[in-house]
Amino acid sequence: MVTNTQSWTRAYALVHRLCEIWALAGGVLLLAVVLVNAYSITADILFGIPLTGDFELTEMGIAIAIFSFLPYCQITGSNVSADIFTMRAGRLALALMGLLAGLLALAFSLILLWRMSAGLQDYITYEEVTAIFSIPIWIGFIPALVSLCLLVAASLMTAIDCMKTRRRA
Amino acid sequence: EEQIKFKLHHFLGPKAPAHSQMLVPWAERIEKASNGRVKIEIYPSMSLGGKPPQLPRQVRDGIVDLAWFVNGYAAGLFPRTEVFELPGVHQGNAAATNLAMNELYKDHLAAEFKGLKPMFLHVHGGMALQMADKEVRTPADLEGLKMRIPSRTGGWVLEELGANPVKTSVPDLPLALSKKVVDGALIPFEIIPALKIQEQTQYQIEGPNGKRLGTLTFQVAMNQAKWDSLPADIQQIFTDNSGPEWLKEVGQVWDNAEKGGLAVAVKAGNKHVQLTEAEWAALEQKASPAVDRWAEEISSKGVDGKALYDLAVATVSKYMK
Amino acid sequence: MHLVTGLIGLIALIGLIVVRVPIAYSMIVVGGIGIAYLNGTDILMAQLKDLAWAQFSVYDLSVVPLFVLMGNIATRAGLSNDLFRAANAWLGRFRGGVAMAAIAACAGFGSVCGSSLATASTMGQVALPELRRYRYSGSLATGTLAAGGVLGILIPPSVVLVVYAVIVEANIVTMFMAAFLPGMLAVILFLLTIAVYVRVRPDAGPRGAVVDRDELISATMNMVPVLTIFGLVIGGIYFGFFNPTPAAAIGVFLVILYGLAKRVLKLKDFRYALLETAKTSGMIYLILLGAELLKIFMSRGGVPQAAAEMMVNSGLPPLAILGLLLVALIILGCLMDSLSMILLAIPFFWPVIADLDFGMNPEDVKIWFGILALIVVELGLITPPVGMNVFIISTLDPNTPMSETFKGVAPFFFAELLRVVLLVAFPAITLWLPRFLSG
Ligand code: NA
Ligand code: NA
Repeated sequence: MVTNTQSWTRAYALVHRLCEIWALAGGVLLLAVVLVNAYSITADILFGIPLTGDFELTEMGIAIAIFSFLPYCQITGSNVSADIFTMRAGRLALALMGLLAGLLALAFSLILLWRMSAGLQDYITYEEVTAIFSIPIWIGFIPALVSLCLLVAASLMTAIDCMKTRRRA
Repeated sequence: EEQIKFKLHHFLGPKAPAHSQMLVPWAERIEKASNGRVKIEIYPSMSLGGKPPQLPRQVRDGIVDLAWFVNGYAAGLFPRTEVFELPGVHQGNAAATNLAMNELYKDHLAAEFKGLKPMFLHVHGGMALQMADKEVRTPADLEGLKMRIPSRTGGWVLEELGANPVKTSVPDLPLALSKKVVDGALIPFEIIPALKIQEQTQYQIEGPNGKRLGTLTFQVAMNQAKWDSLPADIQQIFTDNSGPEWLKEVGQVWDNAEKGGLAVAVKAGNKHVQLTEAEWAALEQKASPAVDRWAEEISSKGVDGKALYDLAVATVSKYMK
Repeated sequence: MHLVTGLIGLIALIGLIVVRVPIAYSMIVVGGIGIAYLNGTDILMAQLKDLAWAQFSVYDLSVVPLFVLMGNIATRAGLSNDLFRAANAWLGRFRGGVAMAAIAACAGFGSVCGSSLATASTMGQVALPELRRYRYSGSLATGTLAAGGVLGILIPPSVVLVVYAVIVEANIVTMFMAAFLPGMLAVILFLLTIAVYVRVRPDAGPRGAVVDRDELISATMNMVPVLTIFGLVIGGIYFGFFNPTPAAAIGVFLVILYGLAKRVLKLKDFRYALLETAKTSGMIYLILLGAELLKIFMSRGGVPQAAAEMMVNSGLPPLAILGLLLVALIILGCLMDSLSMILLAIPFFWPVIADLDFGMNPEDVKIWFGILALIVVELGLITPPVGMNVFIISTLDPNTPMSETFKGVAPFFFAELLRVVLLVAFPAITLWLPRFLSG
């Protein structure tokens, strides 16, 4: 039982750590978007030559960054919910509600992982590129799919965590 | 017999002329010709979700049955059809270009429409130069100016002309002009009334006889499986109401919109500039590397770009007569 | 029939929210099941292939994570301290002055931060100890900060305003211009509220310290960098030097420079700011995705059209309908956060408003209604039962019961209602600046 709990704690900590590192990587990408935009606008103001295509780098960079934030949001419970109606609910009820939320997140992340894999296929078959740099859009799907794998792991952890809490209750 | 329902999705609002003067009449005609066996529900403003570049995928995947969209919004999906956007092809007569696209579709364009059954392809009135405060007559006049790009190929044209291409969404254009984020735009006159472009610009510039620096191509496409599932007589009704006669009418709608837009600008005191043949030739000449750029890119897909371009020019010219 | 579909969807949504399913997931589940129920699972599954990608790569929304990042770095860069010190040097000497200084500092912080909650918690940490030191009543102290936090969103930049602009296809820059004077009006009304409050209850807000000339000058000088950043970012947007996204990028850059120059930003602060940005932005975009699915479901069910038709055919005068919609937003505010509310309600409310005749041109109505909607959704942050700002301030000041905070915030709530009435009666307060600046 003790080893069981320990390995659970370790697994949870590992997923948490991975989500955090991945989110930080996304944050660095966000800073890169800041640099691209700051460079473009400065070049525009000083020399009248903006970086052509800064907008499409921004679009792709932001999309990839946002996907990388989702697992961290899940594992840290940052998705807002209204807890006013259930402030006096018992521990069992709270655990069950947490379980429901965790399972819905798990189902959603599994479906989205499956569907966006198909989306990747689709964007390779019918290749769409950005207007200026001709970057294939499907490239952005790859880090997004990694993010969704992490989201699956994070949702699983939050769901199991609720069940553990329930057993202790 | 059960009524066959279609969802037609598009990206403009219900007040746009494309909605009220093209899509609604087209749908009504088909409904009427089918004696009520067909019902086409139109969903404007991307109300069935997603962004405009996704419309072709939505049709292919059957998320919607029909969609009207700009082929170039999803860059790379319709590289062959892009030939009709290039300078020198569209001559300021939308009907002629529509008919040319219709003629070349089967043998030269169809390969890139997998999963889509295009009902009809068409263009708008064409790209004019609309400038805040600079009269452009030569490529040198455009040097270093910031210009709003309409499409990928439009961006290339502007680059060749020495301008700095800037991306601005259509609704943001008036403010971009008033704030000098852009000095002008490559865009049809048709959008003038909706966005009050006459207030932010002084010059409406086009070639002799309404010639333009390229255009945008559009299509109304049906999901292939949905099309295959239709009874032959219903298919026939769609075909009959989307053929050459209809293409001429659509051309008329867009060309009239050009006249209407220009009239608003002229009435507001703007200068309507029609370049001379010589001036126009110089501009097209300077822009022509954009055509080579396209031809080279499409050669990687096993298409002889130069030949297709020449064919497109010849076919449009044929219908101009 | 269509309205029944909408009603069932809404009930299901509220049901899930009540049992603590995050709002984003509630929207995703109801929207997804609704689409599958109306038009089949295949359509939903096909659309999920790239819907999230499309939603996350909308260019106009890219300012959202950038402004969130700017606010988070500002929080770590000690900017809030400088603001409060300066405001307090000027205002602290008056009765209720420390609370007034807190409002002024909130407004200053709101000018670099796009979020209400971040403004409330940041300024709360700075101002609460001072308010306590001068023996302000717990009710006035916490109420002031909970209300002041709202300025984070009422004064541009504002995340909610960006989202509104994207939904109704308004220009973000115009919306930012329109929000400015109403935001200033809010500051004035809040200051007046405190002045009246301490007149009625003098012991609630005693005078603070009178500072000497040197301190006054040095505190004021300290505020210059913040005002410069605001001037460059928002002024730059207003006067057309740059679009919102590059402006936000410049803002992030300047706030980092400020923090480095002050030697307060360390590597761990960057880490903290990035992770906070990840939490907030991830949450916002997941809600955006949920709202998109819900919108598709409702469109396929014909709900928005039916609702707009019913309202327009109701025979009520336009102002009465406007009032009804605003009240509905205030009530919804008890349930959810402002962003979810804008995303949920505006797709239905805007078509109704757009069809009514207020004697203004449609573009003006779009701007005017946006600012009104922004104010009333923000009211939800300070009203019971769910008042997020009140919750946040309560966690910062455990000695004051939450009921006291709600009492303290009540006068500000009425000031806000007064402001709504003023803005409805005089649309020019909202419309003058955008008109003037766009010339
Ligand atoms: Na703000
Ligand atoms: Na509330």
